[in-house]
Amino acid sequence: MSLIDDFLARWHEYRRPGYYEEFDYHWTMTVDLDRCTGCEACVTACQAENNTPIVGEDAIARGRHMQWMRIERYWEGEYPDVKLRAIPMFCQHCDAAPCETVCPVSATYHNQDGLNAQIYNRCIGTRSCAVYCPYEVRYFNYNNHHWDEPLDQQLNPDVSVREKGVMEKCTFCIQRIRQAKDAAKDDGRRRVQDGEVQPACVQTCPTEALVFGDRKDPDSAVSQMLGNERAYTVLEELNTDPSVVYLKKVDADAA
Amino acid sequence: MGVSIVPTLRVLKPVGMIAGVGFVGLLVGYFANAAFFPGTTPVQPIEFSHTVHAGDYEIPCLYCHTQARRSPSAGVPSVNKCMGCHAIVATDSPLIREVARHYENDEPIPWIKVHDLPDFVHFPHNRHVAAGLECQECHGPVETMDRVTRMAPNEMGQCLTCHKDMEVEHGIDCLTCHK
Repeated sequence: MSLIDDFLARWHEYRRPGYYEEFDYHWTMTVDLDRCTGCEACVTACQAENNTPIVGEDAIARGRHMQWMRIERYWEGEYPDVKLRAIPMFCQHCDAAPCETVCPVSATYHNQDGLNAQIYNRCIGTRSCAVYCPYEVRYFNYNNHHWDEPLDQQLNPDVSVREKGVMEKCTFCIQRIRQAKDAAKDDGRRRVQDGEVQPACVQTCPTEALVFGDRKDPDSAVSQMLGNERAYTVLEELNTDPSVVYLKKVDADAA
Repeated sequence: MGVSIVPTLRVLKPVGMIAGVGFVGLLVGYFANAAFFPGTTPVQPIEFSHTVHAGDYEIPCLYCHTQARRSPSAGVPSVNKCMGCHAIVATDSPLIREVARHYENDEPIPWIKVHDLPDFVHFPHNRHVAAGLECQECHGPVETMDRVTRMAPNEMGQCLTCHKDMEVEHGIDCLTCHK
């Protein structure tokens, strides 16, 4: 078998539907847009938890902003009859992620928990993944960042500080997932219970619009939400099969 | 009859000289490196001997490094812990008087970290102690060291080899260690 044939054979193996379903967890988040007020508390919490730098005015003017989580705002209607639609947007941890297929060094890949992993040490900064990502949720470190005193004291020791030239994105707070798994093993349990892991955004959300959990556990809060008839995924037609599910009541008469 | 070796040697002479100088440089560098960068065997502020404590008196590692059992960091014992014994043991020794001075001044002893992992690595000591690993498997025979030397290469291969050998569940997934 030639090298190409071998590669193609394995490629189909990885792209087989349900390949990732064979593993332990399938971390999923649901975002209830009918509850979301667009307050951006989740954005702030994410920034604080994950050592995301404050890039400054100049960088933002050049489109080099860094927020693993952002609120996309959509205004509907004419004044005075204006409505705000807010959609929290962050890495969708797609099961068929376009970013994973394009990375030349496998710095981003799918791990056994259904997470789209980003390994900073491996990343060489081609930025191909950001180009391929249809959700525009990957952020590139164009510079080394520093934290003025005393802000450096609030850096999270469980999250590495990224350097210039690597891509970064939402990790579903992998450090918290890891800690919950360690705690579960210390207790002699095989699995993490529902509600033991909360990413920073979920923990902070004042209206509890965000729910995080394991899709494989049929009793978990997130599994209950998935059965809701309001559920949809963003850019469904691209077949990326995201792990983030949004809920929104669509009223045809309201428009 | 016969091909002279002399022209060949003449060509090889500069190569040989470069190789010779390079070899001497390597030798000098090897020893000079140890002299200038004693990174693997730092001189501690107080000459604490693990030979005496862990070797001769057979105090278990986890008696002093008790955090290794329940936290990601193994930690160094507080001065209070030292004084727990040394309030009555060997109080005349000049080293112990130095420890006592720190204790009375309420200041920590500025120990130098020997096994320092990079910041992007998640290494929970508690999980590894719970898995039944001996401290010596990574840290070497500390109980025979007067001045502790870094034995582990602290490289990714070391983690991967052990995780493969022990058949750790998802042990070679990047996110198991990288953060």
